[in-house]
Amino acid sequence: MKKFTRQVILFLFPMVLLAYPLDLIVSNLLKKNGSFAHGELSVWNALYDGTIDSEIVIYGSSRALVHIDPEIIETSTGRKAYNLGIDGHNFWLQHLRHTILMKHNKKPKTIILSVDVRSFIKQKELYNSDQFLPYIFFNKEIKYYTESYKGFTVYDYHLPFIRYFGRFQAIKAALLKNSYLKRRNGYEGQDKVWNDDFKKAKANANSIEIELDKELLVLFDGFLLDCKRDDIRVVLVYTPEYIEGQKFMGKRNEIVSLIDSFALKHNVVYLDYSKDDICLEKKYFYNASHLNKLGAEKFTKMLSKDLVLLGN
Amino acid sequence: MLFNSIDFALFLPIVFILYWFVFNRNIKLQNLLIVIASYVFYGSWDWRFLLLILFSTFVDYLVGIALEKEETLKKRRLLLWISIFVNLGFLGFFKYYNFFLDNFTNVFSFFGHKIDASSLSIILPVGISFYTFQTLSYTIDVYRKKMKPTKDFVAFAAFVSFFPQLVAGPIERATNLLPQFVKKREFDYNKACDGLRQILWGLFKKIVIADNCAKYANIIFNNSEVYSGSTLVLGSLFFAFQIYGDYSGYSDIAIGTSRLFGFNLQKNFAFPYFSRNIGEFWRRWHISLSTWFRDYLYIPLGGSKVGKVRVVRNIFVIFIVSGFWHGANWNFIIWGALNALYFLPLLFRSKNRKYMDVVAINSNLPSFKELIQMAMTFGFTLVAWIFFRSDTVSQAIQILSEIFSMSLFGMPSFKKPIIIWVLIFMFIEWVGRDSEYAIEKLGKNWHESLRWGFYYIIVISIFLMGSEGEEFIYFQF
Repeated sequence: MKKFTRQVILFLFPMVLLAYPLDLIVSNLLKKNGSFAHGELSVWNALYDGTIDSEIVIYGSSRALVHIDPEIIETSTGRKAYNLGIDGHNFWLQHLRHTILMKHNKKPKTIILSVDVRSFIKQKELYNSDQFLPYIFFNKEIKYYTESYKGFTVYDYHLPFIRYFGRFQAIKAALLKNSYLKRRNGYEGQDKVWNDDFKKAKANANSIEIELDKELLVLFDGFLLDCKRDDIRVVLVYTPEYIEGQKFMGKRNEIVSLIDSFALKHNVVYLDYSKDDICLEKKYFYNASHLNKLGAEKFTKMLSKDLVLLGN
Repeated sequence: MLFNSIDFALFLPIVFILYWFVFNRNIKLQNLLIVIASYVFYGSWDWRFLLLILFSTFVDYLVGIALEKEETLKKRRLLLWISIFVNLGFLGFFKYYNFFLDNFTNVFSFFGHKIDASSLSIILPVGISFYTFQTLSYTIDVYRKKMKPTKDFVAFAAFVSFFPQLVAGPIERATNLLPQFVKKREFDYNKACDGLRQILWGLFKKIVIADNCAKYANIIFNNSEVYSGSTLVLGSLFFAFQIYGDYSGYSDIAIGTSRLFGFNLQKNFAFPYFSRNIGEFWRRWHISLSTWFRDYLYIPLGGSKVGKVRVVRNIFVIFIVSGFWHGANWNFIIWGALNALYFLPLLFRSKNRKYMDVVAINSNLPSFKELIQMAMTFGFTLVAWIFFRSDTVSQAIQILSEIFSMSLFGMPSFKKPIIIWVLIFMFIEWVGRDSEYAIEKLGKNWHESLRWGFYYIIVISIFLMGSEGEEFIYFQF
């Protein structure tokens, strides 16, 4: 028995010994990869490194990420801007970015928050979980915001290197340097033309049913209060949606009035562009809910103009 | 709790330490620990399943004791039927209720009678098909006076619920496993090392081969209507290696884990894809289930020692029941029937037991004839796997008609590195084909550092290629 125990310990020893240094090396190298995890790492890096340094920040999902170009806003308003839109995630993880921004960066003066029918939906899967890999080891904030999802286990947060199990692409991305940055100030315009995503979605169902997450609404309410307390102006923006797609979303009107009621309650500006003429033209979209680069430029110019009218 | 999870990686050493360091002087305490550990393991899926297994254990324990006391044949038969009724009753209700209900209503509505019967939303308890057959083997063997019943309830409960093989086999015979629970177990260094090696190889099969093949098999089967014949063949190949890697991998982990605790389980897979005919394939594939059906169904029905018509019936019965055991679905039934059709010509030409040895035992490579035989046998099983994997019979027919069309001769639209892994895997399996499991003897004569290097490569490939928490296919059966 002694021999067996000794042999097992000897066999496992190098793995235990190497786990932490490997974690450190792979995580640090991975952070330097500008395009891994759809480019989200560059945004997390900027957040943790405290290099955001912008008066205007943009929050939201992919509809913020690909719709609002910070450079156009900078040109119009004369104030530095950064896009913190996070692809595939609702307000819960958008709030995580807000928390880290406030902790490690200069406080912004204005937050442009892109809201839509999916902002407050229940989400179970941790979409694009790879983006958290270099940061989650003993990170209380990320653990708090991601542990309720199906993505990481309790061991991933507390045992070194375990979270890289089965993530061959992440290790490969760490080892093969790729300094190409997908994002520009967090923004990623899409040079795409209309595809058949919408057609496929329509063929599969008559409408998309949305289930609201009540906890998320409470968090949103608290966020608006916090911003008021911290003297940060929040501008709620409903960015353009292709008109046909709007009919496809169940509970859309209910959610739009809910956003309206939040704006009224907290006395924040709410700009709804979902009835704008841009929503009638397919050439500005690549699918029903996302503008292409051409549409994003046109829309950001409209938004910037309105921001200037509002007095920055 | 899955074998391929960190939970199990923590659970196993805890039970191992308690078993050999704390309770090693008392066999009863060791058995009690196994029962508790097994119930924790099983309850981690759903604690309600424990009530079922506990009830089944009580019934069969009491039936066993009553059978020993009872001498009259009539009463003994009644006791046996009680056990069969309870065990198959649970299995029938949880696994087949909705299937029979749907088919009855379909038949009645075909004849113009509408029946208002709504199906129930039933959760299938994990492993019920496995432990039901295991406990049935006990009562049948006691009834046949092949073994004496045990009076040690804890040992019996440990036999029924033994966690390494509880949820997906091998389906152990009471005559093999139960006596091991009443005999003192001594720690054996070589046996334990062998157990660890087999666990490692099982994890490789499951995580590297099965789970990665599954990704592509699922894509191809879920969109079968858009793929060409050649891609569908590739999809079927992926599935063939998925199911083999998955289930034989599970069996290896189960057998290896048991060895750590001093138990010997029966071999469940013996390199089936190197079979030279279907008869050999069925002696090498899911051996514990095939032999269960042979001993408790085929032979009682008369086996092959009856007239030709009855032999045909018996063969169809065991293969169809075997298919139905896998699930309440017409696809499984057709899969079973197809295998019966493959098997019958061999039986009538008395060639079903022709290949009892290991292929190319004295050479490194198979002869041309053996190669053709293996390829043909594999081809036949591949056609049957298409029925097994498809969602409906019509999907299987659609896939087969596409495969047997001109599109078979185009290039498949999938070129994935997993094919290289499968080839490496099959090479290692070929090298180790005369062993209990492929890497049993591989590297035994190498220098320790070289051997450990080989094991580290396996560990690293598991780490890189894996995805935690992928379920085993056989859990659903």
